[in-house]
Amino acid sequence: MREGRYWSIFLIPGGIWLALFFAVPLGITIAISFGITDDLGNPVYAWNPENYSRVFDPVFLPVLIRSVGYALVATAVCLVIGYPVAYTVARHGGRFRHLLILAVVLPFFVNYLVRTYAWVTLLADDGLINGLLGTMGITESGVAWLNTPFAVVGGLAYGYMAFMILPVYAALDRMDPSLIEAGKDLYGSPAATFFNVTLPTTFQGVLAGCVLVFLPAVGDFVSAQLLGGPGTYMVGNLIQQQFHDAQNWPFGAALTVVMMAFLLIWMVFYLRSAARAADEGVA
Amino acid sequence: MSVAEAPPAQATRALGRRRARREFDSPRFLWLFLGLFYLWLFAPILVVALFSFNAQNSLQVFSGFSLRWYDAFFSDPGLRSSLVASLEISLVATLVGTVLGTTLALGLVRARSRIAPTANVLMLIPLVTPEIVAGVSALLLFTQVGLQLSLTTIVLAQITFSISYVTVVVRARLTSLNREVEQAAMDLGATRLQTLRLVTLPALWPAIIAAGLLVFALTFDDFVLSFFTTGVSPQPLPVRIYSAIRFGIKPTINAVGTFMLVISMLLVALALVLPWLMGRRGSSIATVMGEETGGRR
Repeated sequence: MREGRYWSIFLIPGGIWLALFFAVPLGITIAISFGITDDLGNPVYAWNPENYSRVFDPVFLPVLIRSVGYALVATAVCLVIGYPVAYTVARHGGRFRHLLILAVVLPFFVNYLVRTYAWVTLLADDGLINGLLGTMGITESGVAWLNTPFAVVGGLAYGYMAFMILPVYAALDRMDPSLIEAGKDLYGSPAATFFNVTLPTTFQGVLAGCVLVFLPAVGDFVSAQLLGGPGTYMVGNLIQQQFHDAQNWPFGAALTVVMMAFLLIWMVFYLRSAARAADEGVA
Repeated sequence: MSVAEAPPAQATRALGRRRARREFDSPRFLWLFLGLFYLWLFAPILVVALFSFNAQNSLQVFSGFSLRWYDAFFSDPGLRSSLVASLEISLVATLVGTVLGTTLALGLVRARSRIAPTANVLMLIPLVTPEIVAGVSALLLFTQVGLQLSLTTIVLAQITFSISYVTVVVRARLTSLNREVEQAAMDLGATRLQTLRLVTLPALWPAIIAAGLLVFALTFDDFVLSFFTTGVSPQPLPVRIYSAIRFGIKPTINAVGTFMLVISMLLVALALVLPWLMGRRGSSIATVMGEETGGRR
């Protein structure tokens, strides 16, 4: 008992820090989301729920829906590309599997801005891809890739791919390969074996990957800012504008709170499964 | 793949069907897919790195090797002060975040209090919260408290996120440690503090160092948190890159981006090699990714 209390002291510094710099700021954000701005544009505490009705205004609602839509498509793209990648590495990687999975994680440590910028230079009207298409004679004037939903969703998928592959890979790695052999011994076709055995067994990993991609993708504003334009803006761009250009912090805070509330469902879902996995790991 | 030359018709059909089915997860097809994936993953980054050495101001034609964009980067006093600012931010955030994260991990794993399970989950929230939420709320906190936005505010925001990251990595290592060694040390008369210093911490060092290096890389690269909590001057490198890109594409950005890329890669390489050099059994990649190896051993 005294032993446990001794170690509890170790919880204090980090716990206080996270409370002060994470929990308290969220509370302040909620408080300010009901506020108004004074003549100088500074936020003032008040009771102004109109910030919230403005969020669902026909001007802003499409942006919210678009954000969720883009994030969903990006998550689907990550799953469709990421699962086979994780599967190949886990099943056929052999002694190179650690190296191969490291190669997936490595670009994640390259600045997200730089990675997005890389696509800007590639997709620009006078960029490398249009140059290649031109020399191959496929297109004369080049394709306007930028400012399209494809570019934005592609940027999101490129940016968050590692979040999908890692949990799926971990699930595949844990899976007993003899299950797949059993499926095939029972004359299951590769497809039947995959959908009846492999996919259900690794479902937890797939769910974790989907949530881990979806959460940051909804809140992203870099991809839409650099690869898209006003027609493809997401809620992150809207929030960013309120804080930097429009100087309407209370409305920006309200947008943030609404987004956070929406994402909280998925977050709780993920944290519960993570906690369950940790319990099983310890037991 | 030459099977029997002239098998009976039925067998041929069955074989054909089986081969067609096998296509679906045939290693050859999967390896091809993997190759294309790595091409998609690395080509954009390599193009940026390549064109940072371009002699000409073009994103299409590589006309010769030149260091002029690096020269432009390092002779720009604004960019230089941003680089220094970024390094300072990462250094302080890493040091504070690693200390607080390690103590938190010790508390979470060892304390048998009722709050520990809850704290275990709460600690993950900063990692799954979209950065823009953390950025906005940090900005609101600092302005409400009356703190002038500066490098300090960026550091404060970065530490919060660093703590969670370090905790996850160190906690994974901690759960895989054998507690009996600690018990033995205490049976032999070591105090709790001595046990921590002489037994527990040495076993944790590889994970702590790996986590610290990765946090350095992550904070050095972080844009969103810095963007919301930065003052006017000096701004960290990613924030500078952002405004530069909005201003228009310039090969100098290629040079800055490539430089940051090299720093991050060095840090990741160190994070992989150092724990290994320090004699950690098993994969250092597992350490770096915070994989929970405990319990299953």
